[in-house]
Amino acid sequence: MYGTQSKRDLALELQAQVPFLRPSIHARRANITVKFQDLYGFTVEGNVDDVNVLNEVREKVREQGRVWWALEASKGANWYLQPQISSISEGIALKSSLKLSNFANAITLKKLIRKGIPPVLRPKVWFSLSGAAKKKSTVPESYYDDLIKAVEDKVTPATKQIDHDLPRTFPGHPWLDTPEGHAALRRVLVGYSFRDSDVGYCQGLNYVAALLLLVMKTEEDAFWMLAVLLENVLVSDCYTNNLSGCHVEQRVFKDLLVKQCPRIASHLEALEFDVSLVATEWFLCLFSKSLPSETTLRVWDVLFYEGAKVLFHVALAIFKMKEEELLLTHHVGDVINILQKTTHHLFDPDELLTVAFDKVGSMTTNAISKHRKKQEPAVMAELDQRLRRLNSLRVDDK
Amino acid sequence: MARPGNKIIQAKLVLLGDMGTGKTSLVLRFIKGQFYDHQEPTIGAAFFTQILSLTEATVKFDIWDTAGQERYHSLAPMYYRGAAAAVVVYDISSTDTFNRAKKWVQELHRQGNQNLVMALVGNKSDLNSHREVEAEEAEQFAQESGMFYMETSAKTAQNINELFYEIAKRLARISPPRSSGITLNHETPDKRRRFCCIG
Repeated sequence: MYGTQSKRDLALELQAQVPFLRPSIHARRANITVKFQDLYGFTVEGNVDDVNVLNEVREKVREQGRVWWALEASKGANWYLQPQISSISEGIALKSSLKLSNFANAITLKKLIRKGIPPVLRPKVWFSLSGAAKKKSTVPESYYDDLIKAVEDKVTPATKQIDHDLPRTFPGHPWLDTPEGHAALRRVLVGYSFRDSDVGYCQGLNYVAALLLLVMKTEEDAFWMLAVLLENVLVSDCYTNNLSGCHVEQRVFKDLLVKQCPRIASHLEALEFDVSLVATEWFLCLFSKSLPSETTLRVWDVLFYEGAKVLFHVALAIFKMKEEELLLTHHVGDVINILQKTTHHLFDPDELLTVAFDKVGSMTTNAISKHRKKQEPAVMAELDQRLRRLNSLRVDDK
Repeated sequence: MARPGNKIIQAKLVLLGDMGTGKTSLVLRFIKGQFYDHQEPTIGAAFFTQILSLTEATVKFDIWDTAGQERYHSLAPMYYRGAAAAVVVYDISSTDTFNRAKKWVQELHRQGNQNLVMALVGNKSDLNSHREVEAEEAEQFAQESGMFYMETSAKTAQNINELFYEIAKRLARISPPRSSGITLNHETPDKRRRFCCIG
């Protein structure tokens, strides 16, 4: 089975391999691009400024760790696991019995999480706050092992596609791109394809599951994180059949962009640029293919606590950060280049999250649900119409 | 790149085809001369630009490389809408991917642009020993469907440049600017120029 120990060793090794990066004076002068490994073992290409930013981010991660330890020391090891605290984000009415201290804890927790969960605490905090622990507790202890054993020799269209994608998922990564990494990713994806045959396997999930494997301590926990993500955190049907959930989210995103960034929205409309052209990948891969790893995981910190609305905050923030530049574009290619360059160089998670939560207006989960309800019929009608057209094609064919 | 007085053609090109047929690899070979054995799957689509200079015109390609998995099909119209050229890719070592390619061709015929330049591409010609689709069969299908046919290998670079040059030539041959997906202009920078390739 999956070697938990070896992955932990790898994490340590990676941290050891990444000394404080000091760009040489020559590098500074020449402003050359350097290649290095980030905290999670991904090879990053950046200039000297990027390296400096990453060093600052490392320092901030350490500071954030000290804050969390201090809180554990004063409030108890699992202070954030109290149910009243974790329920606040879901907008559940506070029970009258709820003590003020708990309420204070909840506010503290929300702020803390937006500032980032230290990488060592991530597996534990994500597992509890996302609802994955609860989900796992409702089935027998041996559920995952039984599932994996039951499906290991089965061949389905989903397993074939998964096998095809294993070596193509973050190729070159020091753990993911090894026989051990491929095998672990395979078990998680194949296991899930049997757990939910409507989803089966959807490309995009390979990146998400791979990153979950890197963060979570065990493969089984990564599986449950994937389950809670698809079944509870994200809108349903994002990855099924015709990606209808994803279509809905894209339409909602367009609505929100018009509201929150009207100048950008109207400029892009004039260019006949459909924001889904870039945002589809963001939403399906949860930014894992576009943002640097620590920045992606910082987004996921908030995603697992506050829910799917976080994706809108972050996507809007990316546009908002580049408003002036975007308004000067005359060509679709320029828009895409700006957005790609921006996302690839967002090494400072705080830069992004500050805009996402302070500059982008607040949006409640309820308000977003209303937007979704409004868009659903149109999406369904469109998909249905397309399907009928395709079917008529097939009839003509005969 | 563009010679003075030479006409500039801005053209949207879309790549369609089953997953793992090598759409992204084709583009990367064409644009960067690179090839990776394990190319990451494309989600949604990826965008590239490339300029080709012919004697008769300079063609500026806006290339949309789409995701191949069947369920991503529902996103495709967003990418092929307004395209001037479409490259439908299959893998010569897989009949399934050829069948899928045929469906793409039918769908493209339905979307209405009479001037759409279409290419049927049998990729992975380096896998000749595992061939499942005969060139004659593909050639015949291409002819019946009003498209040109080519076998390529992104891995060995065989026919990659030829493919895009052929498309560029055909685009240059097509008459006036009105046809959807193509802009002809004589290098007059006009800021209010409507971008006509996406829509």
